[in-house]
Amino acid sequence: MNATHPVDASAMRRTPNPREGWIKVPAITLSFWIIKIMCTTVGETGADYLAVNAGLGQTVTRAMVGTLLAIALFMQLRAVRYTPWKYWLAVVLVSVVGTQITDLLTDGLGVSLYLSTTIFALLLIAIFVVWWRVERTLSIHDIKTRRRELFYWAAILCTFAMGTAAGDLATEALHLGFVRGAIAFGALIALTWWLFRLGGNAVATFWIAYILTRPFGAALGDLLTQAKTYGGLGMGAMWTSALFLTVIVALVALEHYTLQEASPLPAADATTHP
Amino acid sequence: MNNVHTTSRHATLSALLAVMTLTLATGCSPSAPQGSKQGSAAASSTAVATPASALGDLTPFRSIAADVAAIVDRGDLAGAKQRIKDLEVAWDSAEAGLKPRAADDWHRLDGAIDRALKAVRADTPSVDDCKAALGNLLRTFDALSGKG
Repeated sequence: MNATHPVDASAMRRTPNPREGWIKVPAITLSFWIIKIMCTTVGETGADYLAVNAGLGQTVTRAMVGTLLAIALFMQLRAVRYTPWKYWLAVVLVSVVGTQITDLLTDGLGVSLYLSTTIFALLLIAIFVVWWRVERTLSIHDIKTRRRELFYWAAILCTFAMGTAAGDLATEALHLGFVRGAIAFGALIALTWWLFRLGGNAVATFWIAYILTRPFGAALGDLLTQAKTYGGLGMGAMWTSALFLTVIVALVALEHYTLQEASPLPAADATTHP
Repeated sequence: MNNVHTTSRHATLSALLAVMTLTLATGCSPSAPQGSKQGSAAASSTAVATPASALGDLTPFRSIAADVAAIVDRGDLAGAKQRIKDLEVAWDSAEAGLKPRAADDWHRLDGAIDRALKAVRADTPSVDDCKAALGNLLRTFDALSGKG
């Protein structure tokens, strides 16, 4: 197709509609889910390290991570098109802040996990309702405008907070340790994927998987970090984070490489364009 | 064309999920103590000299707390502040392993540890406050272990 209409294709790529810019978010691939799951662990261990090991305390850590998230989201919103490192940096920080919001509600304000899980679920539905009313689509493949991008990030923050609350609730109410938790949430993710394959709604299954991968990522992280006495592999938080961070950096670098190969940046294009 | 791509992606994703689930399922069996510890602890509490709590063996944490209490008794509040961090780090890193066993007990201890941390780390810590908070913490440990 590209070969027969090269001009059309490149025109579409190079002159984005001023209202509809470049796509700002990644395609949903295997790599996407691996990075997303590992971000949970790295984000959580990182925040824990700052608060406890580095002795900054929860308040200072919250302020620091909040500021970093503001900067990362600003960079992500300002980016002309999907830039893997900016996008994933924002996801890691959203993951930490989402967790911190739930922790603050639970530990700081004594809100029950039943209540916070319900609140986040309702909030998420509200975001989707408004998103749908304004845009008439919830497609995660067409995040091309600032407004859609803001809806997208609001929903992502909410899923991380809700995933944390739901995961903690499963731990407390169902005595779901990380081993059984990883199996249970892994099975639910597999079920969601199966429903998607059977023709289930792509947007709905995507967001369900996005919520489920939060407690799954946490359980997987715990499985590696926790001591053998608790049924973990005893790798410790530092080595697990180092391992996950290496995989994330490698996959994000690969993403940059494939993007460059598939469609060079406009600036690089301009020189070869007649 | 797009469909072919997504289908192959989904095939890979399914394979990965299958592998993950299998790995976790096999990894599950060695962790049996997590569930069975509660039962065996309850059954053996009458026979064994040091009964374990529903949370499992808490001695590593209790001994740090006892250590901090001893340092406070000597009047070395700066030393206590240094030592209690070991308790905070150890307790925090074991959360995922301990909490699912008995969440209520975990919260009770967590609260007692928090109060001890607050007392020892106060801007102008008082020996009396530290002693009270640590005494309460040690009693919480013992109460939970006695429960076994």
